[in-house]
Amino acid sequence: MTLDPITFEIIRHRLDSINDEAATTLQHVSGSQIAVESNDLNTAITAADGRVVACGRFILAQVASIQLVVADILARYRDNPGIARGDQFVTNDPYVGTLHQPDVVLVAPVFAGDRMIGWVGSTVHQADVGGPTPGGMSMDARSIWDEPIPMPPVKIVEGDRIRRDLEREYLIRSRTPQLNALDLAGQVAANRTSIAALLRLCERYGADQVEGAMARLLAGTERQLRERLAALPDGRWRHVAHLEYGPDPDGSPGGAVYAVRLTATKRGDQLELDFSDSSDQAGGAINTAFPALAGFTMAAVLVYLGGGLPWVPGALWPAVRIVSRKGSVVDAKWPAGVAMSTATVAQAVRTCVNVCLARMLDGSAEHAEHVMAGCQLAGGGGVVLSGQADDGRLFAGMTLDEVAGGGGARTFADGADSSGPTTSPGGGCANVEVNESYLPVRYLMRAELADSGGPGRLRGGVGSLHLLTPHEVQAPVGVLSFGQGLQHPGAMGLAGGEPGGSGAFAILGPDEARALVRGERVPLELPVPGRDAALAAGDVHVAVSQGGGGYGDPLEREPDAVLADVLDGLVSRECAASDHAVLIADTEAGPAVDSAGTEALRAQRRRARLGGREPRAAVEQPPGRRLSATLRLDDAGATPVITCARCATALCRASENVHEHLLLDERPARTFAPLGFGYQGADRFTVRRFYCPGCGVQVDVIPARRGEPLLHAIDPR
Amino acid sequence: MQLIGVDTGGTFTDAVAVTDDGRVVASKALSTPHRVEAGVLASIELLAAAVQQTPEELLARTDVFAHGTTVGLNAVLTGTGATVGVLTTAGFESTLAIAKANKVHGLSEEDLRRPTRWDKPPLLVPRRRVRGVRERIDRSGQVVEPLDEAGVRDALRALAAYGVDAIAVALLWSPLNPEHERRVAAIAAEELPDCHVSLSSELAPRIGEYERTCSVVLDAYVAPLVSSYLGRLHTALTERKFGGTLLLTRMGGGVQSVDAARRSPVQTLRSGPAGGLAATVKVGAALGHPNLVATDVGGTSFDVGLVLAGEPGYAARPMIDRFALAMPVVDVTSIGTGGGSIAWVDPVLGALRVGPQSAGAEPGPVCYGRGGTLATLTDAAAVAGYVDRLGGALELDVAAAADAIERQIARPLGLTVDEAAEGILAVACEQMKDLVRRTTVERGHDPSDFALLAYGGAGPQYAGRYAEGLGMREILVPAFAAQFSAFGAIASDIRAAAEHDLAPAPLRDSLDAVNAAAGRLAASVRAQLDLGDAPLASEQQVIVRCRIGLRFYRQVHRVDIVLPDRTIGPDDVPTLSAAFRQRYEQVVGPGSGATDSTIEAVAVSAEALLPVPLPTAGVRHGGTATPHRHREALFGGKRQRCPVYAWDELGADQSVPGPAFVESDSTTVVVHPGHAARIGADGHLRLTTGARP
Repeated sequence: MTLDPITFEIIRHRLDSINDEAATTLQHVSGSQIAVESNDLNTAITAADGRVVACGRFILAQVASIQLVVADILARYRDNPGIARGDQFVTNDPYVGTLHQPDVVLVAPVFAGDRMIGWVGSTVHQADVGGPTPGGMSMDARSIWDEPIPMPPVKIVEGDRIRRDLEREYLIRSRTPQLNALDLAGQVAANRTSIAALLRLCERYGADQVEGAMARLLAGTERQLRERLAALPDGRWRHVAHLEYGPDPDGSPGGAVYAVRLTATKRGDQLELDFSDSSDQAGGAINTAFPALAGFTMAAVLVYLGGGLPWVPGALWPAVRIVSRKGSVVDAKWPAGVAMSTATVAQAVRTCVNVCLARMLDGSAEHAEHVMAGCQLAGGGGVVLSGQADDGRLFAGMTLDEVAGGGGARTFADGADSSGPTTSPGGGCANVEVNESYLPVRYLMRAELADSGGPGRLRGGVGSLHLLTPHEVQAPVGVLSFGQGLQHPGAMGLAGGEPGGSGAFAILGPDEARALVRGERVPLELPVPGRDAALAAGDVHVAVSQGGGGYGDPLEREPDAVLADVLDGLVSRECAASDHAVLIADTEAGPAVDSAGTEALRAQRRRARLGGREPRAAVEQPPGRRLSATLRLDDAGATPVITCARCATALCRASENVHEHLLLDERPARTFAPLGFGYQGADRFTVRRFYCPGCGVQVDVIPARRGEPLLHAIDPR
Repeated sequence: MQLIGVDTGGTFTDAVAVTDDGRVVASKALSTPHRVEAGVLASIELLAAAVQQTPEELLARTDVFAHGTTVGLNAVLTGTGATVGVLTTAGFESTLAIAKANKVHGLSEEDLRRPTRWDKPPLLVPRRRVRGVRERIDRSGQVVEPLDEAGVRDALRALAAYGVDAIAVALLWSPLNPEHERRVAAIAAEELPDCHVSLSSELAPRIGEYERTCSVVLDAYVAPLVSSYLGRLHTALTERKFGGTLLLTRMGGGVQSVDAARRSPVQTLRSGPAGGLAATVKVGAALGHPNLVATDVGGTSFDVGLVLAGEPGYAARPMIDRFALAMPVVDVTSIGTGGGSIAWVDPVLGALRVGPQSAGAEPGPVCYGRGGTLATLTDAAAVAGYVDRLGGALELDVAAAADAIERQIARPLGLTVDEAAEGILAVACEQMKDLVRRTTVERGHDPSDFALLAYGGAGPQYAGRYAEGLGMREILVPAFAAQFSAFGAIASDIRAAAEHDLAPAPLRDSLDAVNAAAGRLAASVRAQLDLGDAPLASEQQVIVRCRIGLRFYRQVHRVDIVLPDRTIGPDDVPTLSAAFRQRYEQVVGPGSGATDSTIEAVAVSAEALLPVPLPTAGVRHGGTATPHRHREALFGGKRQRCPVYAWDELGADQSVPGPAFVESDSTTVVVHPGHAARIGADGHLRLTTGARP
């Protein structure tokens, strides 16, 4: 069968158009705020085997769900209960395919005549899917038995008719059955719309041509991805992201520490992402089962490696191999709880993939345009508020304020301020007025937070500060915090750029809150949030979403850019001096850069990094090939060596861990906490700055657990 | 009664006149972006010449001059608007910058696939010019913290130091209690008497502070430019003996007086599409089509608007460029497929692609001979022989277009130039068809309930292909297709509108609040319709209508239902609920209104309409025209000699079978093989596309 370039293009465009229309249909029929305002949904069209050929641009991690759910149905249900025209299957099972229980997936096969040519489906986050706690998330779940019990794929639509018995069975679990019913209706309608449109496409061009176009999209995109991989230098990159959860065996009030450890290995046109060294699984809540690991990994690969390529997630899988260990925190075994995975371990997974891929791309000048430092982790600062309003109604809801954190810096621009996680491009926070409409709270402040963006030649995007207090409610308001990103920074910088500021969660009295509103720092030693956190009348809830990571040595930032940030309130004068070594003077024409003072201060900083020595001068054309923006690999001699990209100082043999041969400057992680806050347990973490021993340039900055060995983060072997 | 409509677009300024003796003439002049009124006056000179008058003679006898302008939109797109200062509730100064944390809304297709290009919309007001004032109103409209008036004065003085020439005010919950905003306006009038002040509670009183803030900022951003332009235009027209009423197209539908446009200049931002949709409504009403799809192919975009049950659709979440708005805006969806869309070969997928990159108007398609080197959709149309002149004057360089297609498309794909040209046309028309289908059919509407209108300079060229196979009731190319937005300006009712969000509550509990708001808004819109010292003929009756905005509990889609012309009581609840469900299904899709969710009242709106009488054009007479020439054109892989008919010569109900062309001064209708064209006695052309699916 031949597919001419014109027919192929018409079918390709139509597939995207059909999928977009499905999302519109879903949003129209559902109309719920989660679906429409926060865009916490996605739609996809897959080939017959479930590989996704068209996906929406909302929550990308949800797209992999569709593929895994389809694979499960194909493997188990062919004979019983059967897969036929007009059937649709619903599931929220994180061990089958969804990211966590609140994500409900509905998929439907597409039959052209007797032949199954593909599937269509969607995922929508539900306000509540039952279980012991409103919103479905519980910090102290010991296993999945303390969480919403998942529903494996169930044929809820049979012969194009909703099975009322199964619909009731699904809705009875929820505290918000009306909203869930509307979302389900929207998902059913969206699938019907897509199927009808696909069948019209088959009528017009023939089912063979449509299937052929899907196969070509998958093959062509895979080839493009492999070409991009092949064009990049081979190597290995590592990253560790920490998170804290549950009682610590060593008794730290900061809670037990879990590590997600990734080794990314690129050989030729193949990428392997190995998470095997990650910590053992926790009892409940934070683990990812394999589908969430795969969903977040593939979303991160799509965003951080696939920039400019066709948006065809199904094409990634053959070129990207995920390795994990069953029973680890990233690949949990039943019956481990997983309901809070998306705000916790999944964010660490995303960060690890982000950092390793960015380091890989940064090894090529040509591909550096795709490099992005770490963005905020969605979990930092996030909460579910619940309780009983004065009119007797129960309420429970997320503010979604936590998604107003900073984006990572790029090689040509600062990170996007208060822009949210990169892998959820269509997501966002709600208006203050909308949150106040449905939750009995009154905001005191929602502001971009000065100094929260990671310093760098290009700085990370700033995060944001949110203050709210109970309003017209006598009973205490329960506060479930996702509790991550408090004890150490999470959004990584690159090429010597610093991590973004860490998040915050606190419940303060009115006086302390007033000081925050005035822009003052409030030095407090705070506990990590417990399960009993609540707001009494007059209490103020403080949430800070993290800033994004910076790119490049902060001493190389344009002083005028620092001045503009100061004038716009994104950087304080104090941090202009301390982070970027830029001095600002008041002149008659207003604030201006003190050029001479800045020059002198920067020179002094570089000397201080070198223990008082004069730095070596920069070299015009350093030898060797690019290993990262700050390092080069010189294999001219008998033994290849790693050198500084700025001053060409030879640092070590290529086989050695270069970070062991850089100057190390360790600072407490708590210096990254906002507002003067400190968290119990933070002293277990440190931020390691690495300088070139020749010129003093900041080569890398890596947060770590105090005392752990230096990470072999960049390994050209 | 004599009317002139002028619509300034990106490339051309179009004008239509309906003279008092019933003649209808049109003209097209080049737009003059740096001195916009020059293009307007040029188009009027052409109109005057067409009726053998001087511009002064024409204007002196004109009662209504209706105008759509891009002055404000250009300022937004090029970042050349006013120096705006923003006052907001202290603690919420970042509302505009946070932008609900969304970094992709309104991005182009191209940028959407490049995550390093994801960024917020550019800030029309830098953060340093946003000032907070101490005050707070809560969700029920109660004052929690009184307005700090001294603080307002300090903030205004600080902004004055930045040289602001317009102030935007958006305080939390001002739609429910506008007192603080009004007080701020009063203080601003004392402190900065020459500044334009936009209040969110007046301009965009919808709940949701981000969109409201965007609205006042856009309004303030364009206010000085629009105001000064309207002043210059008015002077120029008066100097040319115009003594009638000057009206401006509103993006919320209808037209408004100059004074109203000065008060809310943001309303002038999307005049072209609004005019086109207004004209579509009028044509549809005359032909008995309550449901229509309005389509327009421009140089850089393809626009689709919907008319449902005789009313233009309003966007659920309106945007201008990448800026959100909190006010009714007629719903026009666009994709970046236009005459300037660049054709290219995707080497990995082996696909022939068109767009999203565009050669725009500058340098434009290769065949324009203005320096364009990349093959575009227009080049393919030129090679196929579908178009041979630009705007009636410029000859196209078909050889250069063929050469570009040969080198860039045909050779890499192993096609002939003709195959490549037809391929480009097919791909682009399918993209357009995808958009038409998405806005209608797949929302659950039955296409056989719709007529499709194709207008703009290029719409009639492509309509036969993009409307084919959709099962539309009728495909129409209206008279004056090329000047349709200008025609829309004079075909619009003079309209004033106001709305007010309510604290969401079940309908049966909201009756008092609804009655109070409806009474107040009705008086307000009636007053707004006062045209001052240039009133229209008084025999016209002002129509005032109030609507209630309803939605299902915690849903996002609001649907407006007309209220009876009296206070409502509990007995009206079932009727209103039923009307809501019916309209909900019309707008959202069949089956969607069946939920048993509570129905909430969330808004009240009012509009006042003063219909502008539109003289009917003369009836076209029968007869059979012969082709006035023939030309070679490419259909289905074959070059063939095709008849070309003059639009004006075709007799009423004469059927022209394809392949053929029907051309007027400014547009060409392509009639494909198997299709047929016929102009009715009403002057509009119908395309029949046959049975091909």
